[in-house]
Amino acid sequence: MTKHPLTVTPDTSIVEVRGMMAENNIHHVPVVEKGKRLVGLITRQNLRISPIELSSLNVWEITRLLSSLKVKDVMVRGKDVITATPDTPIEEAARVLVTHRIGCLPILEEGIVVGIITESDLLTQLTNLLWAASVGLARAIRVPDRAGEFAKITAAVASKGWGIDAAGSLPAPRKPGYWDVVIKIGAAIRDELVAVLQQIEGQELIDIRAIGP
Amino acid sequence: MQMRFHPLPPILKVENLSISYATRYGEVEAVRQVSFEVSRAMTLGLVGESGCGKTTVAFGILDFLGPNGRIVDGSIKFQGRELVGRSEKELRILRGDQITMVYQDPMQALNPSLTIGEQLAEVLMVHRNVSHTEAWRRSIEMLGQVYMPDAPNVMKRYPHQLSGGQQQRVVIAMALLNNPALLIMDEPTTALDVTVEAAVLDLIEDLKRDFDTGIIYITHNLGVVARVCDQVAVMYAGELIERAPVKELFAHPLHPYTQGLMRCVPRLGITKEESRLYPIRGRVPAPKDRPWGACIFAPRCDYATEQCRNERPMLREIAPGHSARCFYAGEIDPSAWQPSEELDLPVAELRAAAGHEAVLEIENLKTYYEQPSRSVFSLFGLGKKQYVKAVDGVSLRVPRGITVGVVGESGCGKSTLVKTIIGLESPTVGVLQFLGFDISVPVTRRDVKLIQELQMVFQNPDSTMNPAYTVGQQIARPLQRFKTVPPDHVYDEVIRLLRAVQLDPSYYDRFPSQLSGGEKQRVGIARAFASRPELVLCDEPVSALDVSVQAAVLNLLLDIQRRYGTTMLFIAHDLSVVRFFSDLVAVMYLGHIVEFGPAEAIYAPPYHPYTEALLSAVPIPDPSATQKRIRLEGNVPSALNPPTGCVFHTRCPRRSMLPDQGKVCEMETPQWRYNTDQHRILCHIPLEELRKMEPVVTSF
Repeated sequence: MTKHPLTVTPDTSIVEVRGMMAENNIHHVPVVEKGKRLVGLITRQNLRISPIELSSLNVWEITRLLSSLKVKDVMVRGKDVITATPDTPIEEAARVLVTHRIGCLPILEEGIVVGIITESDLLTQLTNLLWAASVGLARAIRVPDRAGEFAKITAAVASKGWGIDAAGSLPAPRKPGYWDVVIKIGAAIRDELVAVLQQIEGQELIDIRAIGP
Repeated sequence: MQMRFHPLPPILKVENLSISYATRYGEVEAVRQVSFEVSRAMTLGLVGESGCGKTTVAFGILDFLGPNGRIVDGSIKFQGRELVGRSEKELRILRGDQITMVYQDPMQALNPSLTIGEQLAEVLMVHRNVSHTEAWRRSIEMLGQVYMPDAPNVMKRYPHQLSGGQQQRVVIAMALLNNPALLIMDEPTTALDVTVEAAVLDLIEDLKRDFDTGIIYITHNLGVVARVCDQVAVMYAGELIERAPVKELFAHPLHPYTQGLMRCVPRLGITKEESRLYPIRGRVPAPKDRPWGACIFAPRCDYATEQCRNERPMLREIAPGHSARCFYAGEIDPSAWQPSEELDLPVAELRAAAGHEAVLEIENLKTYYEQPSRSVFSLFGLGKKQYVKAVDGVSLRVPRGITVGVVGESGCGKSTLVKTIIGLESPTVGVLQFLGFDISVPVTRRDVKLIQELQMVFQNPDSTMNPAYTVGQQIARPLQRFKTVPPDHVYDEVIRLLRAVQLDPSYYDRFPSQLSGGEKQRVGIARAFASRPELVLCDEPVSALDVSVQAAVLNLLLDIQRRYGTTMLFIAHDLSVVRFFSDLVAVMYLGHIVEFGPAEAIYAPPYHPYTEALLSAVPIPDPSATQKRIRLEGNVPSALNPPTGCVFHTRCPRRSMLPDQGKVCEMETPQWRYNTDQHRILCHIPLEELRKMEPVVTSF
């Protein structure tokens, strides 16, 4: 999560919030009252004015409307904001974001805002998890769903004296009973890696490519 | 390598900030066009001598400038929001509790009439509307995070019941309770002992990581900067003159002022024979005298040209991330620097020139303070008397013309030792001989001649000068009293002494309030040397001074010592200074001398475990040097009830080297072990073992 998130009070004007969001390149701002207690949330969607409303106004009226609008007029109200705590596992946070189709979770500790986790935090975490920021060979291997298959891969890699930088797995699409394992190895030589992995029985090599910035 | 998709904007961005104060000289600009940024989990060091505007910048950020100060120009953006130009109420909401400050003196930041717990819990109850029990629980948790031993009990104590280091931890805990995004620390460790300082600096490192807080660290100590900062901004006379990552700054200082600062600090392991300190000539101009439209450092700069005097340089980037405000930055080669001829540098002579007869001889000196007992028996005079054993069996021989340094934490008896020698305290037992005379009598009963030969330079020049007398009168006083010169020559002699300490004769009629700290200390030195004493006791003479002034005062002492062949006893807690200045060093702990020997022997193995810990705590002004990390637990035990056996055994990190977890240390008093004739160590661990230790500081 990002600690010390930018926050606003319910009485901040919308114009100012817009400026802050643009300047800091952020999309979500928790709304707090005294003592950093959460009372709402502002996202970029809240700041939009619907086209129907817009067409009925002339340019002066738009300016007036914008300048008089306060955070409390457009924010998502406190009870509707979905939140998490610092102890929430990151998988759980990601699941909540996906199932509710929302972009961020304010992190609360007994009602007090201590941080925020957003889509980009999760993406950052994913890149770090897959070690995407460094150069290496990425492999995708389809393995049957039974115990000991992953150990075969690690044993094969270790026999060459290499180490696995990152690893992940997901159920194989349209092939029940199989999992796709993705590993990333920094020091490997492509042909040798293919050779050593093809010797494993029952596993299928799907993809191999060099990855890195 | 961790990465972020879009780097977060800095927590604080200061641009072209100018602050001025309305004074009777008109509007005086204290800070001029300062720009810097502080990011998350980063420490920015703000360095400079006193009067350079470091604290003014901090107060500007906090809007704490007082009624006569105001921000004239520039912008301060906190988390992307402008702070300058807003009303006080708006500011309070914006800043809220997101910025906190830790001040230099922890005792002044704490309320002496409330317990620690009440003060900590109040922060949460006021700012976070938390219930009392909850606030109490969280305060204990926070005290644990700042490594406070026995936190639940500390909550019930009053500030005066804690040591300085613990008080500072409480203040830091208080600042962190609100989980601030920005923490401003103004010389937080200056008032602390080296060992405590080391622990607090470690703590700051850990907190930066755990709390993701941006820190502005204000200090004048380059060693501390090298240890805790990531970025450094050097300030001079209200201007930011150089900005760089810490390693880059120490490796390639670009601005002549930064280069000068580096030459002022004694590095650990440098002695007066092999190296010198080069003070920067002149001093920081007062804000009203600062030149406009010229380089502000030009009057003191060795490289100044016509251009520097007629045009103001802008802060420009010389290397990536490294900017300096100098026309010639990048062209100046600091290694080719030669001291200008105006600087009169003393040449320290080799110790061989010194005599061998002892000026001062101390044997088994004990100074105890009687402690009133609270037992009922004592009402009838039956109670057992208790003593604070401030100095407990010290033997020391000071040869003529030599400087003996005494080091140790506060409370180890250094000052009592000096007070006993000078006669302000009477020794309980022991032999105390000066030039063969017994001086174990109080100063009031000593012969005037003896007093004349034994003078002292005090730590704090402010409180040891009478504000109602002029400088001249104060220096003349010992001359008249001791009849050093005939009465009609007193004036000439004072002028001569003023010149000797590099002060102009015009200082004769000035009052102490018109002098800077360094000048006051010079007057203090002139006064101590006025009677041409044989032995001068210096009690922390430079610890209250800025680095460049410190270099000048040390040079001055060296020079005077060379000229008059004076013997000195030099007390300091800064081990680099002691190493630089002293021939012999005595390390004191709890009233005992635990190691004694030539300076170079003290700073290399074999060490006494206590010396080793002290050395590993000294902040070294070199970020690339590696230093062993040994931290002493707890405080110096009470001298009222010192530990049995070896006094250091309760905190000794090396006890485990002895069989049975060092049982012998608790039972028996150690004997002196002689490494060489002159170098001795008071420890149970055999010298062979001690010799095997690695040196504390490697690679410079």
